[in-house]
Amino acid sequence: MTTGTRILAEGAAAVLAAGLLSVAVAAPRLDASRLMQTLAGVRSASASFVETRYSPLLKSPLVSHGTLSYRRPDRLEKIVVSPHQERIALHGDRLTIDSPPAGRREISLDAGTSGIATLIEAVRATRAGDLARLERDFDVVVSGTLDDWQLRLKPRAADVGQYVSAVGVWGSGPRLQRVEVWEASGDRTVMEIDEATD
Amino acid sequence: MTRRARVLVAAWLLLLGACGLWLYRNLTLTTDLSAFLPPSATPAQRILLGQLRDGAASRLVLIGLEGGSEDTLARASSEIAHRLVASGLFAYVSNGAAGANRRDQAVLFEHRYLLSPAVGPERFSVRGLEAALAETYRLLGTSAGVLVRATLPADPTGEMAQVLRQLVPEGVPDTRRGVWFSRDGGRALLVAQSRAPAFDADAQRRVVRTIEQAYAATRPAAGRLLLAGPGVFAANIRATVDSDVWRLSLLGAALVLAILYAAYRSAAILAVSFIPVATGLVVGVTAVGLGFDELQGITLGFGVTLLGEAVDYPTYLLMQARPGEALGEALARIAPTLRLAVLTTVLGALAMALSSFAGLAQLGVFTVAGVAAAGLATRWLVPAVLSVRPGSLAAGKGLAWLDRLAGAARRARWPAAALVLGALALVAWRHDRLWDDDLSSLTPVSASDKQLDRELRAQLGAPSLRYLLVARGASREAALQASESMAAWLGGAVRRGWLSGFDVPSTYLPSERTQEARRAALPERSVLAARLGSALRDSPFRAGAFAPFLDDVARARSGPLLDMRDLGGTAIAFKVDSLLVRNEDGWNALAMLHAVSAPAELAKKASAQGDEFIDLKAESNALVGTYKNQALRYIALGLACITALLAFALGSLRRAARVVAPTLAAVAIDVGLLLLLGKKLSLFNLVALLLVVGVGLNYALFFARRHVDDEDKRRAQRSVVVCAGTTLSAFGCLALSRIPVLHEIGVTVALGAVLSLLCAAAFAARPE
Repeated sequence: MTTGTRILAEGAAAVLAAGLLSVAVAAPRLDASRLMQTLAGVRSASASFVETRYSPLLKSPLVSHGTLSYRRPDRLEKIVVSPHQERIALHGDRLTIDSPPAGRREISLDAGTSGIATLIEAVRATRAGDLARLERDFDVVVSGTLDDWQLRLKPRAADVGQYVSAVGVWGSGPRLQRVEVWEASGDRTVMEIDEATD
Repeated sequence: MTRRARVLVAAWLLLLGACGLWLYRNLTLTTDLSAFLPPSATPAQRILLGQLRDGAASRLVLIGLEGGSEDTLARASSEIAHRLVASGLFAYVSNGAAGANRRDQAVLFEHRYLLSPAVGPERFSVRGLEAALAETYRLLGTSAGVLVRATLPADPTGEMAQVLRQLVPEGVPDTRRGVWFSRDGGRALLVAQSRAPAFDADAQRRVVRTIEQAYAATRPAAGRLLLAGPGVFAANIRATVDSDVWRLSLLGAALVLAILYAAYRSAAILAVSFIPVATGLVVGVTAVGLGFDELQGITLGFGVTLLGEAVDYPTYLLMQARPGEALGEALARIAPTLRLAVLTTVLGALAMALSSFAGLAQLGVFTVAGVAAAGLATRWLVPAVLSVRPGSLAAGKGLAWLDRLAGAARRARWPAAALVLGALALVAWRHDRLWDDDLSSLTPVSASDKQLDRELRAQLGAPSLRYLLVARGASREAALQASESMAAWLGGAVRRGWLSGFDVPSTYLPSERTQEARRAALPERSVLAARLGSALRDSPFRAGAFAPFLDDVARARSGPLLDMRDLGGTAIAFKVDSLLVRNEDGWNALAMLHAVSAPAELAKKASAQGDEFIDLKAESNALVGTYKNQALRYIALGLACITALLAFALGSLRRAARVVAPTLAAVAIDVGLLLLLGKKLSLFNLVALLLVVGVGLNYALFFARRHVDDEDKRRAQRSVVVCAGTTLSAFGCLALSRIPVLHEIGVTVALGAVLSLLCAAAFAARPE
């Protein structure tokens, strides 16, 4: 499994991560609790999103879109409508993935399930402004200003780190704008969010 | 002591010493159920016993952790898993953590082309590759994309996903914080498989203690450790049995000693009166040891019960000696009756000893040898060592009521006869609901423990213990091939909803035939590269991205087949070992079944497919039923022999009837009372009733004995009363037990002793 590509990709991810980290350190510090307070004030939110996977294996980036919806305190739903339908719902501690035609069975790796759950949880906990929850799963670095903030999340668990190197979340005030995931494989996914909050 | 006495005692000590030495060197005690196995056992029954004894499912320990935050529980789960692995007591420990089975995953990944059911000639054609790549591309766009991507260059056709799909059964526990949890998140779950078999209660106690210590080491604040599984229950029951047996035997012994001391007023006599039963026990065990390879625990348990009769022998002798009379003189009077008392039991047991059923034959041999030895010890040894002259009870005026009781019983023989008829009518009416062969109704496992077991089993998705499917083959390879065809039809059964999932050995280790077919389906490197090139032309993937895939297929194509050595040290090897078992009938591939909802349909389909569906509960009940029916047959034969012996020894069939009838009357009323108490009869009641017959015959014999005068008659009656009193005390204490088996035996014998006494007094005594 340890192929040249993999090592290269991991190296690239590490360089990327280091770069981001220096940006974060250089930026004027935004108070994390203040940001979380702002985020926690949101009762519900809905958005459409466009997610793009950039991969050296693909001739062109893989683009999918759909909708995101959030309801305080712990409901997050992601519905992908194109190119394939999928519904991922996180409610409390239950993660449901309906992925026709095969359903949940296709991702029945134990570690995998928790890896996916961690990614979804990253978005939900950020949306909910739940810093404690975020810090349970990630090393969290906050940077920017309240109007233009960035969260950098580095997975703490080894079995998640095996797949995901880092997650970045960008936003403005109470709104989420972009979620980026740097995968250990070298791929990067970027989710652009057009969010309306309430 | 006379010279003759000294020789006798020396010979006796020598015999006991020899027996003891032999037992010490040669005795092996087994506690498995094979004693119940009839000589005509079916292969299914032999597999059943193998599974109960050493099966994978029977060695499962289900562990739950409660009380505490998710975080605390998850940490405790990891720590406990770590400690259990380190203890070396477990063949397998899992709490769902990915790290724990990383080696398993690596082995599966390495051999994915031999393991994946999707591998076939079509899979690596241009069209097959196009389809697989399209599916992989689809998955890349889903939430699973991050996982798919990780192995994409080496596994673009997704064979690993194909392998994993058949491994993970439906309904595995949730994973939280990287370890298994119940759905509500309140309980962390672990599963372990002990190396020791479930029936080895001592080893299982160590297992339980190790888990408890591992739990305690996590310093739980207010949490709770939940344990279930056959081995855990065996350990718990053992603890209860030990404490109950110890407590109740002590109480029983105290009562028996008190009664006998009241009768003899001499510690020396008291001590001597235990010589026969102790001798009988040692000789009985030795006889079984000499005649059979190993002693069944069940033989020992039942045998000791039946040997209870031998406690009475010295009582008959010591109680019937006149004050100041030497035991030798007293013997002249009672020896013929005592001889009959011993011989009736020996004869009854002799029939059993000839059974081809190992368990019954052992019990027969034990009883024959033990009772005969106890009888001989009473006849020869007791008078030899006892220089004190017994008979002090004669002075006890307080016991006159005993004599009046005997008289009253004699006058009450018509009501007693009515009672017997009533009991017989009840038995006849209930004849179809008389027996309960379901051993589980006698299990001491509490209802709450059973509930916990069901709960944890459901939460963990552990297989049910009750149903099993077997596919047989003459060789390992044949059994694996049979396992593959079994898996094929079981897949259909899952889709029909008959069960939720299954576990077969061929999933982990496909037959060589299947592996060869899969290997043969892998194209040559250049061919595959060309086809992949065509398949990639119109695909979203870049050409040249899949060199690791070409390397891995080439390696699999020229590599060896997967065998057990490759799996060494993984949980998979353990799975295969426990699912692919060899016995005298050949190789057996077992299918563990999850959440069976339609056993009848499964059984029908299995027999149509040439596989065997085993309902462990039904099979074990059938085994017990056969054992019981065999026992009944030999008991009937024994009774016929006893009657013949009595008719011969007492001179007439009428006299024999006067001894046998009260005994059977007592048994009838005993059974009637048990039924009135709402019980059904089990094998254990049957053995208890056998003892009732043994002691009852003795009571009747001594009541019916030709007495030289009134004094002699009174002594005979009092000796019987004392015997009934000791039996009542010993078994009455057993009736207090929380262990259903002990309770049943206790109630049956205690009732039986009293009833035998009353019936003997009512029917056996000679008319005034």
